Amino acid sequence: MLWNQFKRTIRTPSMLMFYGITIIGVYFVSVIISTVLSFGPVVFLLGVLVEDVLDRGTVFTAMGVLTLSSIVGGYFGLGPAAVLTENDESIILGAPIKPYQLFMSRYVRRLVRKIVFIFAGLVAIFPIVSSANILFMPLFTLLITTIIFFEVNYFLGGIASYFKVKLQQRTNNPIRHLLVVLLVVLALLPTIPSVTSSSVESMLVPSNAFAYIVTEVTGILSWGYGPLVGLQFLALGFLISFLFLSALCDFDYYEVFATAAGREKVEGRFSKIVRGQVDFTETRFSDPMSWIMLKDFWSRMRSPLQIWKYVYVVFGTIFVVYLNLVRPANLAPMQIPPELSSTAIPAFLLIVLLMIQLSSVTSLLSFVDEQDNIYLLKASPFKPIDIILAKYMLSLMEVGLSSIPILGFIAYFFRVQGFGALLTLAAPLVLIFTASGIAIGAFVPVFTNDPRILPVPLAFSFPVVNLTLGAVLIALVAALAHELLILVALPFYVLAIVFLFLEAGVHAMNSFR
Amino acid sequence: MELSAIQKMTDDELVRLARVLKVPIASRTVKRSWLVEELSNTMEERKEKRADKPKKLPNPAVDIKGMSKRFGKTLAVDKLDLKVSPGEIVGLVGPNGAGKTTTLRVMTGIIKPNGGEVSVGGHDIQKSPIQAKDLIGYIPEKPTCYPSLTVREYLMFMGRIYDVPNEETLVRMSHYLDMFQLRVHLDDYIGTLSKGNLQRTLLVGIFVREPPFVLAFDEPIYGLDPRGAWSLKAHLHDLKKEGSAILVSTHILEVAERLCDRFVIMNDAKVVGRGTLKELLNESTRATNLEEVFLELTGGIPE
Repeated sequence: MLWNQFKRTIRTPSMLMFYGITIIGVYFVSVIISTVLSFGPVVFLLGVLVEDVLDRGTVFTAMGVLTLSSIVGGYFGLGPAAVLTENDESIILGAPIKPYQLFMSRYVRRLVRKIVFIFAGLVAIFPIVSSANILFMPLFTLLITTIIFFEVNYFLGGIASYFKVKLQQRTNNPIRHLLVVLLVVLALLPTIPSVTSSSVESMLVPSNAFAYIVTEVTGILSWGYGPLVGLQFLALGFLISFLFLSALCDFDYYEVFATAAGREKVEGRFSKIVRGQVDFTETRFSDPMSWIMLKDFWSRMRSPLQIWKYVYVVFGTIFVVYLNLVRPANLAPMQIPPELSSTAIPAFLLIVLLMIQLSSVTSLLSFVDEQDNIYLLKASPFKPIDIILAKYMLSLMEVGLSSIPILGFIAYFFRVQGFGALLTLAAPLVLIFTASGIAIGAFVPVFTNDPRILPVPLAFSFPVVNLTLGAVLIALVAALAHELLILVALPFYVLAIVFLFLEAGVHAMNSFR
Repeated sequence: MELSAIQKMTDDELVRLARVLKVPIASRTVKRSWLVEELSNTMEERKEKRADKPKKLPNPAVDIKGMSKRFGKTLAVDKLDLKVSPGEIVGLVGPNGAGKTTTLRVMTGIIKPNGGEVSVGGHDIQKSPIQAKDLIGYIPEKPTCYPSLTVREYLMFMGRIYDVPNEETLVRMSHYLDMFQLRVHLDDYIGTLSKGNLQRTLLVGIFVREPPFVLAFDEPIYGLDPRGAWSLKAHLHDLKKEGSAILVSTHILEVAERLCDRFVIMNDAKVVGRGTLKELLNESTRATNLEEVFLELTGGIPE
């Protein structure tokens, strides 16, 4: 299947174009970032700072906490059932295939994909790496071992899930969840300093092996023995945990998957609380755009996470207003060292860019959330521009609201010279990123006839397109900062890009598969 | 079927089969009749070497005793008893949410029952799932399949999963591609197929195996055009004669009436009626056909 996907990609011009944009775009953004920011001194200072603040034991415990969180996540999650799909249910679950065979094949597929992404990512971030004076091999080692470590954690989470399933079959008593406490203790015990500082055997625990590799590769708090011993132990841990989890996979996971898949179809607890009314006969608006917006607003509100988003916006905004007005002494803003003052402003802008990018993911999903209903929407007597504008306006509100607390935090904690003026750039960024999200989201049913799944090239191109446009916007502002022309150039740039994306969205709506 | 199926294969398929069977083609051109004969003989020889015993299903092929299934507080199936014999087509009918799909999913080992016993082909689905699943052919209510595989790849994949020798898969595949008018889509990606063609692909994916089967079909006519539906119904009758046991869940009562030998009518997780159409009509006071029996047993015939 992987091979087929690859063949399809290189034969389909639109997919090739999107992959091309993604890889070249990341490379371009990476070149811009490395030109604007000099990472060399930052990396060096970071090393010194870490050695001042942390001790070796804390690093080992921190890695243990990562493992612990995976175990807890795995215990409450689906475990190996997470690799199953609806297609598997139709074909494989009813076939004479052993569960461990299915798990292993799925896992290997996932691993191959990850390896390919790592290589593409390494190529793309090469300019930043060379700007930071980081050697390629240590970075490569660190990246690979980080992934192996996370994979081991995933396996440990899967093993925790197995114990939960088996325990659940025996008892429904809530006391059974004490097992998770036991697992947490088991994960954290080997990471305490008295264990990690005394013996090499402590590296049998994957989190210790990884912490050891990190210290040796970065040179921060290292013993100077080199990372090889840690690598061997981590690889061993990976193999053992992979085989162990594979051996544990049984038919019970089909049930876990079927239950989880069925749960999506029944009404959630939150949607029962947040019901609301979408009665179009009572609405004051007689515009299709407002109907679509109302429909989207309420259907989203009934999804479990949406309500928390608004709770976060309300409490986050109150908190940042409090911070910026009261300035509590026990929560002092970050002091930027004088050595870093030259890179502080670009770094500030980069953080703003990334944060707004994160908030704008909502706009990308506004079409995917429609699932197959997108075809009903398309078949209804609405103009494509009404649909696009409705999605854009609602997303603009959501992205704008969710950006407020983040920007408030940045303004308070990362106070660089002229931060107030720089923060105003957030508004055009929100306008542009939301429009690009809508346009790219509208292209999903053009790429696939399963509009529930966001195709990889589209998902990848979204941050790349945004970061590129954001970088160009910042470069424009920097170049024309002292010219009156900026008053014309900036709105023109923003409006042109927004209209271009909305037009692209309309075009996509007229080209569905 | 074998010789006639090989005779109907296209030239490309014959060459592919020759490659699989390692039949040497020494010259640039060969006579089709010679190649067909060579291939047929080689397949015969291979079959003799394998010395496969003809499969036969035990009676009952499907035996469900007191099976219950709960989803949280909802009771989906309540103490269901159901038997399907080889050479029999049983219709599982009932309104939406009656528990039909759950019954098929338990029977195929996708989900586990909360109580009762389920055996397929004499194998307990929980204790010997692999042996039981080896006999089952399942078509889900909403047909889905791997979109990045081509139809050919999927069919070969199904052959592999069920341990069908490659040459057998190729011959059977060719036969059923014609039967279900799927040949033009052989090299298409499954993700690009229409719902009807996807359903046909899933059906051929089952039929590339050697019968007899224990078939669990959930709305098998779904999306099929009249010709496809006719081909399927005719083939199910053939399979029945060959000794397969078939359980069909459907809402299309006209199809059920003509296709099935016996019916099990479910409503609200329980069996509310069972028997042949004649038996069901005898039990009813007003009903004159399956549709009316169904309505009477599941809430009354509307005035």
